[in-house]
Amino acid sequence: MTTREQDVLRRVGEASVLILVSLADGPKHGYALIQDVKQFAGVELGPGTLYGALDRLERLGLIEPLPADERRHPYRITAPGAAALRVHLDGLERVSAAGRLRLQLGGV
Amino acid sequence: MRASEAREGWLVDAALHCYPARWRRRHADEAAELAALLIRDGNPAASIAWSYLVGAAREWLAPPPGRSLSTVAAALLAAACLLGFSAALVAGTAPARAAGTTQPPSGPVPPKVKPTPSSVGSISPHPFTPCRPVLLRYVTGAVPVAGHPQLSVQGTAHARSSC
Repeated sequence: MTTREQDVLRRVGEASVLILVSLADGPKHGYALIQDVKQFAGVELGPGTLYGALDRLERLGLIEPLPADERRHPYRITAPGAAALRVHLDGLERVSAAGRLRLQLGGV
Repeated sequence: MRASEAREGWLVDAALHCYPARWRRRHADEAAELAALLIRDGNPAASIAWSYLVGAAREWLAPPPGRSLSTVAAALLAAACLLGFSAALVAGTAPARAAGTTQPPSGPVPPKVKPTPSSVGSISPHPFTPCRPVLLRYVTGAVPVAGHPQLSVQGTAHARSSC
């Protein structure tokens, strides 16, 4: 299996990747996720987008809900989720390095 | 609670009601609280409601758990093909039916009758002329009280109408 085929996150969309990155340092609930993503990526996730991505990631087994804290459900990244995020970030890093190198060589 | 807050809450509630029941059972309370926090932070309620509306549309369109996307796509494609086929059938038969009404009766075709000077201007209809243009003339002074030109239709056959 190629690295590209291993990357299960390449089809889930940017919001899902941002959520996984946010959950990589610990569990968070919806509002905290929106604030965190806005802070580290400058992307404002809409609440509808957030819940869609959370459901998708949960179906894929990449995150899991924790017991509700009042009305809020915190989520945490699972071991397969962490592995998938690592593979995806490695792929992005390779693309990023290749892009930077080619920009240098091309002198654009 | 201010009227504007009530209206904002109503907008978000209405958007949340667009989700399927299984989603609402699981997320509705939390989603309402999240919306309230975001509105408190200064986010416009309309954009939050819109985000929930788009999310609801995606939720309805997403394949249910256990059914792959390709199955749903195949079903949609089949339905679209059936609709297109039916539309093509209807479109194909309609002109033929319409053309059938102007077909001359089967059997020997009678010879064409040339218009004679006496027949031009007479009212008797030609047997093979389905429609007959008529001359339009303005007749002034037909109604002296009104004083406006009056449009009258004269039943004279147009010279080019013979077929």
